[in-house]
Amino acid sequence: MRHWTRLAATLSAAALAALASPARAADEVVTVGACQPITGRFAFAGIAINAGLQDYLTLANEKQLVPGRRFNYVYEDSGYDTEKAVACFKQIMAKHSPVIMYGESTGLGKAIAPELNSRYKVLYASASFSSELADPKTHPYSFISGPTYSDMFGVLLEYIARNKGAAKPKVAFFYSDTEFGKDPIPYARKRAAELGIEVVNEIVTKAGAVDVTSEVLQLKKTNPDYVIFQGYILSPIVEVIRATKDFGLKTRFMGTFWSMDKGIIDKLGPDAEGYMGVNPYAYFYDESAPGIAAMRAYNQKVRPEVKYQPNSYIQGWFTGMVYVEAVRRVVAARKPVTGENLAAVLDTIKDWDTGGVTGKVTFVNHKAGVGRVYRANAQKGVFEPASDWIYSK
Amino acid sequence: MLIGNYKETYASDEALFRTPATRAWMAVGALAALLFPFLAGDYLLYLADLMAILALGALGLNILIGFTGQISLGHAAFMGLGAYTTAILASRLGLPFWLSIPAGGALATAAGMVVGVPSLRIKGLYLAIATLSAQVIFEWVFTNWTSVTGGIRGLNVPPASVAGFRLDTDGRIYFLIVAVTVVHFLLASNLRRSRWGRAFVAVRDRDVAAEIVGVNLFRTKILSFMVSSYYAGIAGGLWVYFTKVITPESFPLSLSIQFLAIVIVGGLGSVKGTVYGTIFMTLVPEVLKAGTGVARAVWPDAQSYLFPLRDVVFGLLIVVFLIFEPHGLAEVWNRVKRFFSLWPFAK
Repeated sequence: MRHWTRLAATLSAAALAALASPARAADEVVTVGACQPITGRFAFAGIAINAGLQDYLTLANEKQLVPGRRFNYVYEDSGYDTEKAVACFKQIMAKHSPVIMYGESTGLGKAIAPELNSRYKVLYASASFSSELADPKTHPYSFISGPTYSDMFGVLLEYIARNKGAAKPKVAFFYSDTEFGKDPIPYARKRAAELGIEVVNEIVTKAGAVDVTSEVLQLKKTNPDYVIFQGYILSPIVEVIRATKDFGLKTRFMGTFWSMDKGIIDKLGPDAEGYMGVNPYAYFYDESAPGIAAMRAYNQKVRPEVKYQPNSYIQGWFTGMVYVEAVRRVVAARKPVTGENLAAVLDTIKDWDTGGVTGKVTFVNHKAGVGRVYRANAQKGVFEPASDWIYSK
Repeated sequence: MLIGNYKETYASDEALFRTPATRAWMAVGALAALLFPFLAGDYLLYLADLMAILALGALGLNILIGFTGQISLGHAAFMGLGAYTTAILASRLGLPFWLSIPAGGALATAAGMVVGVPSLRIKGLYLAIATLSAQVIFEWVFTNWTSVTGGIRGLNVPPASVAGFRLDTDGRIYFLIVAVTVVHFLLASNLRRSRWGRAFVAVRDRDVAAEIVGVNLFRTKILSFMVSSYYAGIAGGLWVYFTKVITPESFPLSLSIQFLAIVIVGGLGSVKGTVYGTIFMTLVPEVLKAGTGVARAVWPDAQSYLFPLRDVVFGLLIVVFLIFEPHGLAEVWNRVKRFFSLWPFAK
């Protein structure tokens, strides 16, 4: 008899629960597809980006951020290989017909562009910050989830101009001969001239070069106040900083997004003190941002063992935020959720408060040109803000 | 059981498709290839196009390595050279594909002639390093000759068109790619039966002996390099119309290595083997990917292990396979064929 009561109680509870949430069952599904570089040489970021994006979309479902819509996230590994990534893109499009896609690289963004524009017409973001993809004329469905590399240089140069002394500041650009390295340089030269900053040196190396003796000697000759690295992750930034310290130069070193994670402080040890750079996002340990606190709370809930998430995780999370915001705006305007409508609302996003995950976001030309300058605190092993959010011009 | 096939002329003995059964299968294959784009989805068509292009490029390398016994680590660079020539002619001068692709092939041929010169003096590993320099030099040119190649950002190429009909989808370009590839495969099969083809094999088997019987070593080796890079150049041209965008990062050293792997896995010196090798190298990773997809449904947390594991499995497959069949997939295929045609009298 007791069994019967218990069963009846369970059944009625289940029935009640089903009645209580009729909206959930009827929710329209918004499919988000992703080709993530989970293996290959970009895996260090790909795994974290994937986790961040997936987590935010799950959270959006839990909190019903877009009433009446449920996000379905499907992803595949694309191995940081353009051909595999294109195959992955086509496979996901054919199998799941998503309205939003995420891609692994600049290469994929360029390779898929002709078909994205003419056939697929889905909202597309990627791990790339290349300024080439931030052009609504040639890439009407793509956006950059943050500033482009050019914008990041803009933020750094702005910071240098604001903090200059009596003399004209001298800057050197130190970059790799890859697309990643060369992307912002033409803009950076122009912007430096506008801000009255002298570019005394441009040093180009192979990506991941290790022997930097001759490059450091060049720096010694021109003795710049700042060196800005672009197109590297760790190597040769670490080697250059050590070698210039040995020469007794007072130069300050700066990096952009990929060389602004905790890893570089760990590698440099005490030499990291004073290393600076631009990050479009707040750090996982930021105490002042409610958006980051929500992220920490979510992580605490689903994987309590994790105490730190890298910047790429936040990059994925923020991309998820933009996706959800775009869908929310399209739904609010009572339009069908299609790639075309999603891409059209991008540039209506103005002064959008992301809860401190980034500065207030305004999309112009499908990118949000805002970032913050951070300085490494070697003792604590963290990056601390050295400026407020700066908007690139 | 087939006990043999009767031939009355030398011509029929030398024919490409010797038995009625082969001819029938070839017809079936041709029909299947024609119908494929109407039946397959985007994803399969993309893979088919990609495989046809890779097979064409790999065939070029097989002529050099498998037929002539020379080695090259710069094959991707020749493909890049053909691709850039085609892309520049198509995007800047607006040439149609039937001019720009052969032009790419021609320039790659000329470059192959130059790069092949050291092969007269150096062999084996030394030649591998000499050809590696071609890879490095061409890659550098693609990256740094910005006014012509578009530098690191590369070039966008308009789709090929035939009489106003734009070949702008994978299904449409399929016909162009497959037609060009099939013609070049037939050419290579014929090349092997010709005087030059026999000279290639003679040089491969023993160059001194070849010279004694009257094969001009220098000319033969250079010709082999030229044919090889011509194939790569044509493959590059097709690749441009297939992807419609070209950057220097499209033709890395790893692509040269991939060609090498296709040739070795498929079977050195085997035209058919090149096809098998390409299918193996392209489809097995995709099949493994589908496999991890199934495993992920059962065991969702395993993705962080499964994805990297796939590469390990792929690598192991190649190693195991080379140990058990050093003559490549072509030989496996022959064995299977023999088994069925002799069954039940032999095993």
